[in-house]
Amino acid sequence: MPRPNPADYGTSVTKPADFDDFWAAIEAQAAAIPLNATITPVHLRSTPDVEVFEVHYDSLDGLRIAGWYCLPRQRSGPLPTIVVFPGYVSEPTLPKNLAAQGYAAFGAAPRGKLRSNAQYNPGYPGLLVHNILDRNTYGYRGFYVDALRVIDFLDAQPEIDSQRIGVTGGSQGGALTLLAAAMRPQIAAAAAGAPYLAGMMDAAVLTHTTPYEELVEYLRLYPEREQQVRETLAYFDIHNFVERIRCPIIVHIGLQDDVCPAETGYAVYERIGTEQKKLYAYDGYGHDSNGYGHGAVIDAFFREHLGQQLAGSPTSI
Amino acid sequence: MILSSERPADFDAYWSAVEDELAELPVAAELTHLPLQSNEHSTVYAARFTGIGPYRLFGWFSVPTNGDGPFPTVYQLPGYGSVVHVPAYELRQRYAVLALRHRGQRLSDKPYAASYPGLLTDGIDDPATYIYRGIVADCLRGMDFLLSRPEVDASRIALTGNDLALITAALRPQANALHCSPSLLYNAASLAPKTSAYPLEELNDYTRAYPDRAAALAHTLDYFNPLHFADQVRCKTLLVTGNDRDFLSPAVLQPLTDSLAGPVTPYVSAHSSYRDGVQQAEWLSSHFGYSDTLLPAQWQG
Repeated sequence: MPRPNPADYGTSVTKPADFDDFWAAIEAQAAAIPLNATITPVHLRSTPDVEVFEVHYDSLDGLRIAGWYCLPRQRSGPLPTIVVFPGYVSEPTLPKNLAAQGYAAFGAAPRGKLRSNAQYNPGYPGLLVHNILDRNTYGYRGFYVDALRVIDFLDAQPEIDSQRIGVTGGSQGGALTLLAAAMRPQIAAAAAGAPYLAGMMDAAVLTHTTPYEELVEYLRLYPEREQQVRETLAYFDIHNFVERIRCPIIVHIGLQDDVCPAETGYAVYERIGTEQKKLYAYDGYGHDSNGYGHGAVIDAFFREHLGQQLAGSPTSI
Repeated sequence: MILSSERPADFDAYWSAVEDELAELPVAAELTHLPLQSNEHSTVYAARFTGIGPYRLFGWFSVPTNGDGPFPTVYQLPGYGSVVHVPAYELRQRYAVLALRHRGQRLSDKPYAASYPGLLTDGIDDPATYIYRGIVADCLRGMDFLLSRPEVDASRIALTGNDLALITAALRPQANALHCSPSLLYNAASLAPKTSAYPLEELNDYTRAYPDRAAALAHTLDYFNPLHFADQVRCKTLLVTGNDRDFLSPAVLQPLTDSLAGPVTPYVSAHSSYRDGVQQAEWLSSHFGYSDTLLPAQWQG
């Protein structure tokens, strides 16, 4: 039997009536926490062209969060900036290559990632279902805030042009890209690949591949908790954020993605609020979503929407 | 600085010493049933066993529920990163599978937690202190664990992974098939300056910061270059390369291809997790004599 067209699948995600209030309260709680950011040079990773820094900042629940921050040595502020969000199991990117192209670049490491896991470490597998029975304790509550606070950190840096911040990432990084574009209106451009955390309960039906298999495993062991799980996930499903997106955005998916099924990619793309959006659906590709070939598309997209750095006197932080 | 890789004169003695250390330690395997990850098709265990140091290691070990075994077995050697997934749902249905987390990776990270970046140069000034000495030993110990298990058909063990899989195949000839995607240690000292991408960029970072240690770094890496193990790999091998435009192109890897002692089938990556994934699954099925291949729904048809 031929596979139904994944573009026709739709979604079972529903938006809780108090979704916006829930996130407004979290944002208010987070806003009351000073970043207390520290920026420490990392000479070992720096090059003649790029300065590398390790950043730490405060976030929800008293956690200290890390990130890699890279700046071109030859720069005239303010800089166009690209934030790279990490996948579920991948290590946070150290984005020296972007800084070498003239961008300020930040590799985010939300809680649980290495260097941000001293106080919170649910593990992999583990994060997707950690404290999932209550939206106020669910692991992704703080994880999302950690990601959003990267933008808050960048806004406070004098060398950054806060009107030219782009966000990107694949899989979980794709999800966080959509989240940041939705929740931080100053984001100028977003490029998301194979977005995870979108249509989560649908994906758990469509695939047996990790990380979504964590949901299947959890509900096999605790079937009586399914309704609670659904209720929690509705507050975190990326579907329910993306209608807020107003910036130009490109999304790429693989039609043979066994990790984040194409059905969920199509569905979340449809719900993105801006009309300045474009979907690249690659036949013959899995969860890589043709990252190998699509990189040039992303590069051109950011060049168009973030612009190139102007030559000028070097600055430093 | 471009440095050529030569097989150290004491290469065999170096690895014999590692083997001696392993031989002095019992595998001391413990299996803990994991109800959460187990399902109707496979039973999953947390496997713990002892590597050199001594050091307690973790691996996901799954056994099919269909039959008593012993089962054809796939040993997944770990990649470069802190997380190793539970073996895939489809793979677990047919094969016993071990997915090792070597020292430093999550769940094998006490007392040593690896840094990324950082692992690739940890202790690299001296072959005796280089972290990969222990990591290779961990990979060998994973094979020793498998050979101790009644669920495992010791005559049908396939290895999958990067350079660590090739080294394991060389030092554990009980493996009778190898699906290898070199990515890390092959001619690393000479290839690193040609890229700025991690993890090889770690080598560049290190030699940039400590230029006086470049020769020592290259010397240490000589003990871990898959090229110097290749003539001990006698099993059937599928060698994955990049394409002609890639860093690890067929031409760059040709010396490795030519040096492998057993029959080699080269495969150029499609840079598609779907197409490359199907290729590997079908290759394993063919190797183990199955006429069909179990694939994720999205990869069928």
